[in-house]
Amino acid sequence: MDFKFSEREELLRKAVREFAESEIPPKMEAMEETGDYPINLLQQMAKMGITGIITPREYNGVGLGYIARMIVLEELSRVSAAVSMGMQVHHMACAAINDFGTEVQKKKYLPRLARGETMGCVAVTDPAGGSDLVGMQTRAERKGDNWIINGRKCFITNTHTSDFWIVIAKTGEGSKGLSAFIVEKNMSGAKVGRKENKFGLRGANTGELVFDNCEVPQEHLIGKEGAGFSVSLKTISETGRTGMAGVALGILNNCLEEAAKFASERVLYGKPISALQAIQFHIAEMYTELEICRLLCYRACWMKDQGMRCDTETALAKYYTCDAALRCAKKAIEVHGSYGIMREYKVQRLLRDAMVTIPAGGTAEVSKLGIARAALAPFTKK
Amino acid sequence: MERVIVCIKPIPDPKEWHLLRMDPVTKTLIREGIPSVINPLDKHALEAALEIKDTLGAEVVLLSMAPPFTKPVLREALAMGADRAFLLSDRVFAGSDSLTTARILAAGIRKIGEFDLVFCGNFTLDGSTAQVPSQLAECLSIPNVMHINKMELKKEGGLFLTQQIESGYVYLEAETPILLSFTKKANKPRFISFLEMLEAEKRDISVWNNSDLGLDESSIGLAGAPTKMADLLLCQKKRAGIRIEGSPEEIAQGLAERIYQWGIL
Amino acid sequence: MKESKTCQEIWVFAEQRVGVLHDAGLELLGKARELAKRYNSRVSAILLGKEVEGLTGILMTHGADRVILVDSIHLGNYRLMPYVSVLEKACRQHDPDILLFAASSMGMELAPRLAARLNTGLSAHCIDLQLDEDGKLLQMVPGWGGGVVATIKCPEHRPQMATVMPGIMRKIEGYDRSGEILKLEIGEILDTSGPRVLKVHREEPCGMPLEQAEVVVAGGWGIGSSEGWQLLEELSVVLCGAVGATRPAVDEGWAREDQMIGQSGKIVRPCLYIGVGISGMMHHVVGMDASNHIVTINTDPKAGIFEVSDVIIVGDYKAIIPALIEEIKKKQA
Repeated sequence: MDFKFSEREELLRKAVREFAESEIPPKMEAMEETGDYPINLLQQMAKMGITGIITPREYNGVGLGYIARMIVLEELSRVSAAVSMGMQVHHMACAAINDFGTEVQKKKYLPRLARGETMGCVAVTDPAGGSDLVGMQTRAERKGDNWIINGRKCFITNTHTSDFWIVIAKTGEGSKGLSAFIVEKNMSGAKVGRKENKFGLRGANTGELVFDNCEVPQEHLIGKEGAGFSVSLKTISETGRTGMAGVALGILNNCLEEAAKFASERVLYGKPISALQAIQFHIAEMYTELEICRLLCYRACWMKDQGMRCDTETALAKYYTCDAALRCAKKAIEVHGSYGIMREYKVQRLLRDAMVTIPAGGTAEVSKLGIARAALAPFTKK
Repeated sequence: MERVIVCIKPIPDPKEWHLLRMDPVTKTLIREGIPSVINPLDKHALEAALEIKDTLGAEVVLLSMAPPFTKPVLREALAMGADRAFLLSDRVFAGSDSLTTARILAAGIRKIGEFDLVFCGNFTLDGSTAQVPSQLAECLSIPNVMHINKMELKKEGGLFLTQQIESGYVYLEAETPILLSFTKKANKPRFISFLEMLEAEKRDISVWNNSDLGLDESSIGLAGAPTKMADLLLCQKKRAGIRIEGSPEEIAQGLAERIYQWGIL
Repeated sequence: MKESKTCQEIWVFAEQRVGVLHDAGLELLGKARELAKRYNSRVSAILLGKEVEGLTGILMTHGADRVILVDSIHLGNYRLMPYVSVLEKACRQHDPDILLFAASSMGMELAPRLAARLNTGLSAHCIDLQLDEDGKLLQMVPGWGGGVVATIKCPEHRPQMATVMPGIMRKIEGYDRSGEILKLEIGEILDTSGPRVLKVHREEPCGMPLEQAEVVVAGGWGIGSSEGWQLLEELSVVLCGAVGATRPAVDEGWAREDQMIGQSGKIVRPCLYIGVGISGMMHHVVGMDASNHIVTINTDPKAGIFEVSDVIIVGDYKAIIPALIEEIKKKQA
């Protein structure tokens, strides 16, 4: 077992950290106010290779793996969880097309995503079901060779900043009755709906898509008819969960940094409060959580890069890290005392951001079902 | 335009300077454990060189005089787009002042070979003498210009330069070979592109010691430096630190009273 | 270069551009006079330029016993290579023990090149100069962003060279000895190589020069807007002072580059320095911590600048400054 990052990974981390620390802070105020994604960062992120990090080289990507992606998402999130969130979902679109698309589809869409010409969007959640995937009511019906989509998608990330969306719709019954389509925003019958007003991860654009007799050509079906369940499951469990875990990991890291910084400077009883044992216990607990989550996150990514089945490990990483980030944000606020509840101080945003990562990309409860299944499997009687 | 040499100095990360300790006996600063970064102004010098590479295809060669553990810093500069790197490293280089550093760098450049331009950052954040660029140019017997805000290549060869001076600018035209040192205003250094980073892993960092350079030991390092350090003090500052509190009006009254007492009004 | 036990000849480079002497050169003459006391050394100003003989009088009243004058049309605009070749010849001919330059943009380019040419030692941005018990020059140099001060010596090589931060040393005036002018001919030694000057563009600084103001009102990142910056301007007017800035404020466009106070800007030592919305990074503090009275206002109770303040105010300047302006006007009435 080698727990060290390679020189390449260290340099990657440094490069993203410098970019994030220099380019993101000027955008933060506008993001908090409007909830809109800082689109003009997209070109810079594309130039660096952030937008195409897991996309193969032949489609203008960088062709690195999930450990590299985790480093990128963690470092972006350490400065802005919302910027990281937008990228995480962008990568989900890249993965879905790369894993399930035809050569024609890959050549058409992956370079646009890698070059940052548009953001990527994966629309699974329906008003009738997010956790209940099969319960969705957005339908796609055959019309000759094409499909007509009707329905809405809600709580979707990057709706308003993407030129096309990957939409999962019901084409039959049961888990074999879902199909995945690429819908372009200028197709008739397709439009963006409301923009959601989240209390956290502000700057990661969340919105609705509305389909009203939207006609989609046959060539826009991803994979076969009925493959929608697999597309959703694989994309969410491998790319989505590791992505969310990366976002939460960056928040967690920042919580510890802010708490440690404040504790080292704030003087009470004649000394910095970091000299007080009660504060040291908070810091130690946060550090413990950070180390646990780092191990869970990077181990899950390592397994994915090795081609191993990893849905339990990604579920673990996602649910635990998001939860830990929330706990640590609360601790960080408490270490700050009354300063912690003031808007001028950063820590309140970390709490709001952490909370929003919890339902995003899969609830903890759904994750735990998968984890329980894996734990019980050796003992389950046939 | 064939080759631009960029001098890079790895310095302890300024964000970690609060961790610096002084050895009370040798009066030297202990740098161990503090990660090294590229001196920020050197990045502007490197960016200027990379822009020449982008437009004219020149080779960008990095040169550093530093301990071997600073190799990752050169790897980072290669990842920004430089083609090759040379690291001059030897115990006898230790204790160099700016003049002996310039001699060593000059020997390194002569060993690298022909060049059109040498670029430096205007000063380093740690030593911040700003002396090495001029002294290096002197050792190479080429002209130099400091405080460069802007550099443009002329189509016919040669350069237009904008130099920052107190309350104004000097516009110059110059020929190569020449050494230029850059200010922060010169450009915005590029962020590392991952593809370039992967390519850069294949590029060479050659390490040369004094037997490769053949310098007389009495002319370099601590022995050869005309300046010697006699003492080193960490700075202590203590001021009254009296607080004025209350409403803005109360604060204003208290402060105005003091200003009056100090004889300013 | 001979080794010298006592310092007999102290030279100061009298920097000038377009016939105007840099104040720092005059400050260095003041310091040279102080260093000259122990061994009754001769203080010479070395002046290069075109038609600059008229400046010799000022140099003498500020402390020069002698002015070494090199006046030539080839030295009209400052250019590095010609100036170095002239100074080299002068040093080799007359063998000064100490040679001081201002750490100005010209000095930072010229002094190192000359030191390398003469194979002698040079220390940079000195904040103090003293003589040791043998009459050798001790040069106090800040480093690591101002966190340390090193004492540098040049024991064997001559001249002992140093560049000195403008604004640190004090001028003297009314020095009475009627001095000598030594004219040096250039002859063939002039090196005319190097870049050619196309144009020199001056930006007119307006208002009271920062270095001369008795009151400095300085703003930093915490000001937040150009509207907020106006309050500083108003306060400075009411106190007959000048407005200074930190790097972030200059970058934001609220202040000019020549208003920047700090290690890479100006050193100021007014009677009163009021810092508003400034966190107190070392490189700024080095530029103002010799001020007589330091008052700082910041909303951040942990601002580092409070460590170097005589008076600390934690609060919002937008409420405090207008009230302060009112109170001051009342006192002045």
